[in-house]
Amino acid sequence: MGETEEPGYEQARDELAQVVARLEAGGLSLEDSLALWERGEALARLCERHLAGARERVETVLHEAGADEEGPARG
Amino acid sequence: MTAQPPATSAEEPWPVRTVARKIAAWIERLGAVWVEGQLTQVSARPGSSTAFLVLRDPAADVSLGLTAPTSMVRGAVPPLAEGARVVVHGRPSYFFGRGTLSLRVDEIRPVGVGELLARIERLRALLAAEGLFDPARKRRPPRLPRCVGLITSRASAAEHDVLTVASARWPAVRFRTCNTPTQGAQAVAEILDALTALDRDPDVEVIVLARGGGSVEDLLPFSDEALCRGVAACRTPVVSAIGHEPDTPLVDHVADVRAATPTDAAKRIVPDLAEETAHLAQLRRRAHRALHAWVEREDAALAALRRRPVLADPLGPIAAREDAVAGLRARGRQVLDAGLTARDADLRHLTASLTALGPAATLARGYAIVQHGDAVDAPVLRSAATPSPGDHLRVRLADGAVHAVVRAEPEPG
Repeated sequence: MGETEEPGYEQARDELAQVVARLEAGGLSLEDSLALWERGEALARLCERHLAGARERVETVLHEAGADEEGPARG
Repeated sequence: MTAQPPATSAEEPWPVRTVARKIAAWIERLGAVWVEGQLTQVSARPGSSTAFLVLRDPAADVSLGLTAPTSMVRGAVPPLAEGARVVVHGRPSYFFGRGTLSLRVDEIRPVGVGELLARIERLRALLAAEGLFDPARKRRPPRLPRCVGLITSRASAAEHDVLTVASARWPAVRFRTCNTPTQGAQAVAEILDALTALDRDPDVEVIVLARGGGSVEDLLPFSDEALCRGVAACRTPVVSAIGHEPDTPLVDHVADVRAATPTDAAKRIVPDLAEETAHLAQLRRRAHRALHAWVEREDAALAALRRRPVLADPLGPIAAREDAVAGLRARGRQVLDAGLTARDADLRHLTASLTALGPAATLARGYAIVQHGDAVDAPVLRSAATPSPGDHLRVRLADGAVHAVVRAEPEPG
């Protein structure tokens, strides 16, 4: 039932889309719709963590490239 | 006379006159012949009735003495001179007294220019038919020969031209010069010797045969069959530079390269140093430019790639995904919110109905609910006959409850 690894970004995002689609389709009991919505929120938070990580990696590389360009000029 | 050696011995030798007579008879058996050659000596003194000439084979180191009537020699038209090519008719003759051999000539015909040219033309056709002029046979001289063989007459203008022009073009050029006669009876033999020597020399990578202009007779050695065959057989490339532009002795056809003049030959055997240096510099410049252009192209291509969004805006796709996630989340919340609001409304509606259906309104109008007992859940009293005097009652009103005790008997309703 539970996954040993956290799902990757695409997997989480796809599942989030499915959750939203089911909520929008309607016809669920109060308890079911609440549980489903909570699952959706958890997936959204997971996606955001992945994207924030990606952002950080890009910014690290850009920062290093910027430092390279400045380096020789100083030398 | 038989071919057997004659019967003589040390004890029975022949006298000189017998031997001389027998030799004379033997020689005279050849009979009359027509012979062609080149005169190298003409001696016709008026005082003597017999003229002496020497006839030489232009292609070999062979000559023959001739005798002829002085009148015939002196009266010849054109005059017979040394170097003249002639055809003679004569018989071999053995002079008893001296024991010498010569050809006793009764007719001397000069080989005229017309006849010479006709002979040359026949030889040309023969050599062409044999394939000696075939362009496929011609070898290309090397661009820069280690050593140049030069066959030319000593201290001639041709020698000077070749050496100075070649040295001006390529100062480091090396020559091995063989000076030979370039006309006359000795020419062919000596040129052939020089050719052989230079061909054999492994350093000599091209041979130049050079002489200046001259008459048909002067240039005859260069249309000689033996010379032409010698040049054809040469393994080293041969450049022929004979005479001036209109002259085409046969050796020109056989040679690997034909130059119009000795100066022209010098220009063909070595490259020009100044030209080569300039060419090299130009090639260098072109190479630099080409490399430079290549680098610039690659630079521009790289810059163009860097400008593409995937490299120039790496955060773009991340932001787009963030937006998508936010969008999904918003929709989820919206759905849930709508669901809760709907349930809320539903609940209020039901509550209102409940209220309307409940006893509150009735109590508000002044009615009370009477319960038989003190407890909140005591049974509701519906009949006056049920309680007895002294029983406790709970009376529920709209805003609370009072406790009462039954005082008297019920009254009829």
